[in-house]
Amino acid sequence: MNEVLQYTIQGLAAGSFYALSALGLAIIFGVLGVVNFAHGACYMLGAVVAAVLLDTVGLGFWPALLVVPLIMFAFGVLIERTLVRWLLALDPLYNFLLTFGLTLLLVDLVKRRYGVSGLPYERPDVLRGQIELGALRLPTYQVFVFVFSLLVCVLVWMLMTRTRIGMIVRASTERSDLAQALGINVGRWVTPVFGFGIALAGLAGVLAAPFRAITADMGSNFIIILFAVVVIGGLGSILGAVVAGFLVGLVEAFGQAYAPTFAQILIFVLMAVVVLVRPAGLFGREETAR
Amino acid sequence: MKRNTAAKVAVASAGAMLLAACGQGGPGADSGAISDDSIVLAVLNDQSGVYKDLSGPNSVKAVEMAIADFKEEHGDDAVTDNIEVVSADHQNEPDVANTKAQELYDRENADVILDVPTSSAALAVANQAKTKKKLFLNVGAATTELTGAQCNKYTFHWAYDTYMLANGTGTAVTEGGGKNWQIIYPDYAFGQDMEKSFTAAVEGAGGSVDGSIATPFPNDNFATFLTKAAAKDPDVIGTMQAGGDLINLVKQFNEGGYADRGISLAVGLMFITDIHSLGVEQFAGTQFTEAWYWNMDDEARAWADRFLEETGTRPSFAHAANYSAALQYLEAVQRAETDESDAVVEELEGLQAEDVFLRNGEVRAEDHRVIHDAYLAKVKSPDEVEEDWDYEEIVATIPAADAFRPVEESGCEM
Amino acid sequence: MPEAPMLEIRGLDAFYGEAQALRGVDLTVAEGEVVTLVGRNGAGKTTLLRSVMGLHRQVTGELLFEGRDIVRTPAHKRARAGLGWVQDDRGVYASLTVEENLLLPPVVSDRAWALDKVYEAFPVLADRRRAGGTTLSGGEQQMLAIARVLRTGARMLLLDEPTEGLAPVIVRQIGDIIRQVKESGGTVLLIEQNVKFAATVADRHYLLAQGSVVESLDNAEFSARQAELLQHLGM
Repeated sequence: MNEVLQYTIQGLAAGSFYALSALGLAIIFGVLGVVNFAHGACYMLGAVVAAVLLDTVGLGFWPALLVVPLIMFAFGVLIERTLVRWLLALDPLYNFLLTFGLTLLLVDLVKRRYGVSGLPYERPDVLRGQIELGALRLPTYQVFVFVFSLLVCVLVWMLMTRTRIGMIVRASTERSDLAQALGINVGRWVTPVFGFGIALAGLAGVLAAPFRAITADMGSNFIIILFAVVVIGGLGSILGAVVAGFLVGLVEAFGQAYAPTFAQILIFVLMAVVVLVRPAGLFGREETAR
Repeated sequence: MKRNTAAKVAVASAGAMLLAACGQGGPGADSGAISDDSIVLAVLNDQSGVYKDLSGPNSVKAVEMAIADFKEEHGDDAVTDNIEVVSADHQNEPDVANTKAQELYDRENADVILDVPTSSAALAVANQAKTKKKLFLNVGAATTELTGAQCNKYTFHWAYDTYMLANGTGTAVTEGGGKNWQIIYPDYAFGQDMEKSFTAAVEGAGGSVDGSIATPFPNDNFATFLTKAAAKDPDVIGTMQAGGDLINLVKQFNEGGYADRGISLAVGLMFITDIHSLGVEQFAGTQFTEAWYWNMDDEARAWADRFLEETGTRPSFAHAANYSAALQYLEAVQRAETDESDAVVEELEGLQAEDVFLRNGEVRAEDHRVIHDAYLAKVKSPDEVEEDWDYEEIVATIPAADAFRPVEESGCEM
Repeated sequence: MPEAPMLEIRGLDAFYGEAQALRGVDLTVAEGEVVTLVGRNGAGKTTLLRSVMGLHRQVTGELLFEGRDIVRTPAHKRARAGLGWVQDDRGVYASLTVEENLLLPPVVSDRAWALDKVYEAFPVLADRRRAGGTTLSGGEQQMLAIARVLRTGARMLLLDEPTEGLAPVIVRQIGDIIRQVKESGGTVLLIEQNVKFAATVADRHYLLAQGSVVESLDNAEFSARQAELLQHLGM
């Protein structure tokens, strides 16, 4: 019983990284129609920037949760303005290839500058140790990661559902040309939305920093799982990205516990089943799956 | 996908080169004592991937340092003035290693190949060494096969192997009271080999391995595997992960608070670069087997200072071992007065040597295992660290004769 | 007394890649007029309407709205200049509630309907204001799509087949709305296959065939030639 709860919180903690990143990926795909292959690299950069800021200017974990996403937002804006923007009018494949190339570039730059063995990172003292509830012991940090990520997802969800910005983003996500015809300047939202999506990946990276090896390659496997998450949740579906993120985390944890050899395959089996049964994903609408 | 293409190209070019080599009349056609009037040392290792920091370009630097020392020592008496280093990236892929080894031996006229981390890649190069009758001094790989069933006359294994690691750490930790083990290992050749070696060492020391968990490779989430292993209430969880996987596992082990429950972590293979990247705090107290440590004595330290000047970083044991292998090779050529492979092998076999890396070193003639003192090391706690890279404390020295697999168990027939 | 036309199109060509969809279309709509575009499928009606809105960009020629050439103006600026768009599939957002659908487009003139007025005119929308946009029936979605542009105060409505596939009772309601818009001084350009319906709401009609305007008829002529036109349209 205790183990099952442990696996659950481990799955939810791992799922948090997927949910936050997939949320960013989904928003970017929705508004720009760009499948951002560099999302894994941005997750990696989030962790690397957190580690470097800790090492160089002593920026701790708590401020990093705010500062690093801001830096990543700026980075996203830069990438959108200088590169992605020019290919938006063309076949989406061009931006997929661009972001793929960007991934290789970022990974190699980090390798060149910081080596391959990774960077050290310490989590703050309050997040160490275990939360004890009777016989149950749950690692404080994992509980924190899950609660914090869930909170961010809820905030993003509220931003998307309760504000005019969210309304515009949802409308642009669903049918961009129609939104234009209704007087919405979709282009004006493209840059901040791209930056916001990148910032979410960066935030996932900061959260992963105390818990995962911070290496140039940490995003390489991650992006593959992330694509599975987005497909399961439904391309461009915001709720789908979050639910599928946590779901995939749980599948991974329980897979590792009860069928370790198949742990990773299970995720892709789940993806295949979802695609067969609901081609648009769990929360996707048919028209967004065109 | 890229790799597959590379593999096809590799196979094709390997075939082409084999044909070319057949037409050349084989080695030994040169008249002088030193072939082509020059000695070429080739460093073949991971220049861009996961082992770049612990071997990589800095292994090339270490070999250059050996050449400089050799020249300085022998001056005008040196067998030749013309010694050069070439290097290549094998990307930890056996097929790439195979092709690169052929290129280095045939096209670059390499007399010896050094380093070659990753066991499968090392075995591929050993096979080339045997075919081409050129030397191969392995430093970076862990497999005991190099000095076991797949040994050959031209291949030497310089620094460490899975037996040494398991024998050192497994025995020491078990004798220190960690009787019940759970082992977590990556599911590929190295991990499987380590799991076997550790099980044997733990059982040999009177402990037991109650369970082993194979994990995917690479993997970034070990939390569940750790929970599963800890559920059996072991004294020790032994991890055979390496590089980034090891760092993931250690972070998540610390996160899980297993130490508070009286479970200690034993690490199968660890390099100083791993400690550096994770930070001493997370590793503090962890015991592991070292082949060499830069701050273990004055001689090592003096060399490490030079290395720091050259590279800006402290050496791993692999860097020191590459230096040692290159130096001992050159000395053997000097004594043989030729770089002809069989003569150099004869000089190396049975050699007893002392250098920066080798303490009580001996090149075993029977299986070409280079034996030397090994060390049981412990990671310092953060307040014990006095300077950059000052991470380890040597707890015990394991004498050369006890540190490695006994020659009668090797199964090597040359 | 001829007023300056609200919309004036001169020599408009439109293309899809190499294929030409509109050939030298000339068309005018005066302020306060209701004008229909009639023609067979593929005659270019929707392309013409989308070109006016700026949703089809591969066009050359002159496109004057209130005297200003808008041929290079992006769609969202045309909307803000006063063009109100109702798409042929209604274009109701599934991810927005009914009320959000109404509030999405910005108000562009002082003729804008307040939300209360919209709900008064369309009680069904008031009842379902919190429901997802596409949970409404087809007719209700059409009401929503029209109400949405009325709320912005658009000076000229572009309606792409507003009655298509709807029950007669809804069609009548839509006719009422269009007449109401006209009475309050609004201008409408709509595509309409239902010739009978067109005759009840419009002042003038343009007949399109193969990408060109073949005839321009006032409503009296149009009504008189209904039978002939129905045949032309293949109905």
